[in-house]
Amino acid sequence: MAHDALLRVEGLTVDFQTSRGLARAVDDVSFSIKRGETLALAGETGCGKSVTARSILRLVPQPPGIYSAGSIYFQGIEESEPLDVLEASEHQVRALRGDRIAMVFQDPSKALNPALTIGRQLGEVFAEHREASVFESAGLGTRSRGASRYLRHRGGLVRRTAYRFTHPSATKRLTEALDERVLQALADTGVPNPRKVMTSYPHELSGGMKQRVMIAQALACDPDLLIADEPTTALDVTIQARILDLLSELQERKGTAILYITHDLSLVRQIADRLAVMYAGRIAEIGDCRDVLSAPLHPYTQGLMNAIPRAETKRGELAAIPGTVPVLIDAPRQCHFVSRCAWAGKACTTHIPGESHPLPDRLVSCLRFESAAAVGAAPGDMPQQYASAEVTT
Amino acid sequence: MQVRQYLIRRLMLLPLIMLGVSIIVFTLTRFTGSPVGIYATPNMTPDEVAALEARYRLDEPIPVQYAYWLGGVLRGDLGWSGVSVAPVTEVIGLKMTATLELALAAALIAILGGIALGTIAGVRRNRGPDHAARFFAIAGASTPTFWFGLLLLIPFYLWLDWFPLGRSTPEIFDSITHPTGLYTLDSLLNGNVSAFWDAIRHLILPAVVLAFGAMAIIVRMMRSSMVETMSEEYVDAARAKGLPEREVVKKHARRNAFVPTATVIGLSFGFLLQGAVAVELIFRWPGLGSWVTSAILSGDQATIMAYVLVTALIFMLVNLAVDIAYAYLDRRVVLGG
Amino acid sequence: MTAVMDGQSSSIDPNTDPRRSASSVRWARRLEVFREVLRNPLTVIGFVIIILFLLMAIFAPLLVGANEPDPYQSPRDWANIDVPPGEAGHVLGTDSTGGDVLYGIVWGSRLSLQLSLTVVISTLVIGTIVGSVAAMRGGRVDNFLMRIVDVFLAIPELIFALAIAAVLGPSFRNIILALAVVFWVKYARIIRGEIIRVKQTDYVAAAKVVGDSTWNVYRKDVLPNAITPMVVQATLDMGNVVLIGAALSYIGLAQAGLTEWGAMVSAGQSGILAGQWWVSTFAGLAILLWALAFNLVGDGLRDVLDPKTEGR
Repeated sequence: MAHDALLRVEGLTVDFQTSRGLARAVDDVSFSIKRGETLALAGETGCGKSVTARSILRLVPQPPGIYSAGSIYFQGIEESEPLDVLEASEHQVRALRGDRIAMVFQDPSKALNPALTIGRQLGEVFAEHREASVFESAGLGTRSRGASRYLRHRGGLVRRTAYRFTHPSATKRLTEALDERVLQALADTGVPNPRKVMTSYPHELSGGMKQRVMIAQALACDPDLLIADEPTTALDVTIQARILDLLSELQERKGTAILYITHDLSLVRQIADRLAVMYAGRIAEIGDCRDVLSAPLHPYTQGLMNAIPRAETKRGELAAIPGTVPVLIDAPRQCHFVSRCAWAGKACTTHIPGESHPLPDRLVSCLRFESAAAVGAAPGDMPQQYASAEVTT
Repeated sequence: MQVRQYLIRRLMLLPLIMLGVSIIVFTLTRFTGSPVGIYATPNMTPDEVAALEARYRLDEPIPVQYAYWLGGVLRGDLGWSGVSVAPVTEVIGLKMTATLELALAAALIAILGGIALGTIAGVRRNRGPDHAARFFAIAGASTPTFWFGLLLLIPFYLWLDWFPLGRSTPEIFDSITHPTGLYTLDSLLNGNVSAFWDAIRHLILPAVVLAFGAMAIIVRMMRSSMVETMSEEYVDAARAKGLPEREVVKKHARRNAFVPTATVIGLSFGFLLQGAVAVELIFRWPGLGSWVTSAILSGDQATIMAYVLVTALIFMLVNLAVDIAYAYLDRRVVLGG
Repeated sequence: MTAVMDGQSSSIDPNTDPRRSASSVRWARRLEVFREVLRNPLTVIGFVIIILFLLMAIFAPLLVGANEPDPYQSPRDWANIDVPPGEAGHVLGTDSTGGDVLYGIVWGSRLSLQLSLTVVISTLVIGTIVGSVAAMRGGRVDNFLMRIVDVFLAIPELIFALAIAAVLGPSFRNIILALAVVFWVKYARIIRGEIIRVKQTDYVAAAKVVGDSTWNVYRKDVLPNAITPMVVQATLDMGNVVLIGAALSYIGLAQAGLTEWGAMVSAGQSGILAGQWWVSTFAGLAILLWALAFNLVGDGLRDVLDPKTEGR
């Protein structure tokens, strides 16, 4: 494993138990993320990108979800061995969540608890992962169980009030230490008037502000990896730009790696170093972002790029990829894109494309890049092989 | 703040509604017999009866009669209770505290039990505890309270003799002072353990019977509300922060699940007040319920009407209290009319 | 270069196929809903119990011969009082006046049917009218009617019905009347809420733009949508009405000796202390089964018809 590979997903396969059968949401997905780099994971709704992202934190609920195969290796700094998130203990995974790997959700209105103040919600992260440090700044040497419980808002209202009554100065200092950290986290993300925001409830803030708060919460403990699940989809376009700027600024400052999930290819160019395109649960193409966008190799990616209207696109020429995403229950062993592919050959309906590397640092999963011999199919059944002179209009 | 405005508006609405209730009650009294029947005591002479009729202007048109009746009510004159052989206002205080004690005990059981069961059912959806909770909820909503009471009487009173009927053992009851009128509380305030035990022994069975139906409603609501909140994004977000599952359930999911359950709790109090009628009858509990049932059997109108007024008032106040709690729990609530 | 390769041709969804008439689509949908409802085993059990009770009520004179002159008074077998179940030709035993328990249960089902149908149908109608008027007129009319509803809701149902029945005099008919007076408010509120909600939707606005009269809009757009929660409530109320009605007769607001289940429980309760459990138990069981059946069906309907309240 390369020393600077932070995250390595290998052959991840996730199924879901539904009333109609076993649905495969993620099918043999592999990719890696280096420290400090931004990988965009793009694809249309339902392609499995969200499930992939959540699997990294093992957030997929286990019934009905099933981690059928694969591993997700995370290399923290202190550990010598990378940890397989899917095999780790509950305790280990919880230690990662919010601390080493953090997530920003799509809709900040839904991802923030409406019943708690921002300060409470951000404070939770610190109380869970930075307890020792908080106690230290509060000037409290020993961490009594009572104080720890107080910090984490456990034990019920009665107990907490009683504790506050009996330990007035300690609780005051703890609260201050915690608040300080929360304020710092908010200020770091450029939140104006952090103190007011801290005592506000989510519904009192604007959409853009809420997303800022979510980002502040995610970056609170300086995680190595930030998973951003379509963070700007629910926001206005004008706010979108600001959030994207914020993310790249923070990334530069803190060196965080980002896994950016999106369905909007036009955003990808601005923020990502590398781009991975997913379709129907599988990786179609991975490579350097600009390269993939300017010279897409996979038919799906090509279709997507064609569909983006440009200044030169004449009226009436809006190209869409014909067909729809297949339903993946008891799916046949074939390329899932075959029903919508302009190049499909008979072999595409009988073989699953493997990983090809037509260029250095480019991965494509398409039979156009494989030889008939390697696949084990008749040459006449293979799709038209890729010629490097091909240019997409 | 919007919340305060809403609560003030509700507070102002209360007397208006009670006025409406009083109109209904008054209309009912005009349905049978002589309207003076409410006020007449058995030994009155015809002259005294005539004097009563004059006092309450019973020869005047209806709206005037209503005004005088209402005036009397507000002054504390609710008529003469035939079954208690005393003015209604003298007796009603005692009856009310007895019923309140029973209802509060049942409410406590129903709310605590209901929330706990509902939470477990919602979190462990479609598994063992969930099916049990749903079965319990349906059973509770379908079981006639009076029958359930009889059913429990047989083993616990008849065979095992664990729990006695009635509210208290007279000697023990009389041995302590009664500042609040709630036997359990009073015995604690008196520091009298045997009195407290006496109170509990009498209270348990009727409270459990009464709580059954209400608990079923609360379990059902809490369960569905938990299922809904557990699938909310912020619950996943809390997990993504590394919080232990128990904390996620309690602090994030359940806290929000309380909100719709709060309204149900208010409604279930109405259920408790209704159920109290049969339960008090069966367990010989000296509260409003048994009072009104004897009144029905003897045609004592004053008692029945006073009962309706008092129960409605209690019910309204409880709902108001619930609304206050609701407003506190759900900050988001734009409390419209 | 983007050649169109259409892999499969999708079959036309029958629900949106423009060739079918609107009403046949609607009936097809209703059938689908019905089938969905029946998929839940508990709901099916509820249905079965209801049908059994229905048959029992309709064929009562055939099952146990009607008693003269009043079929709703149990025939008194004075030679066999307080007989336990199974003895002396009384399958479920007799009470302290020799009344046959089975007779009471069977004829009581008739009373329950009468009670629940009358109350539910009349309250549905009254509630719909009041609620619709309030919601469609709005303004002061709405305010006034809703205040009345608020007042009615301030008094718990049983207590209100109790007071009315007590004032009118103890009789089964008065119980029916009392319950009808009390129960209509729920429906008024439901339909008013639904109408207001639907009024604000776009398709109603579109209908108005097209020029549909208010009555037409009401009939075609508003009412069909509002029906769902009403149906659920009505089903549940079929059970609730009998529960409360039984409680009222238990307290003594029905005629003496009536073969009404609640009254039977009351009649049998003094016997319990002497160990004669069967009268109250079977009568109460009948009430429970009746309410259970309608609760199961009502819940099943709600799960299917109202997707907002969680399903399985």
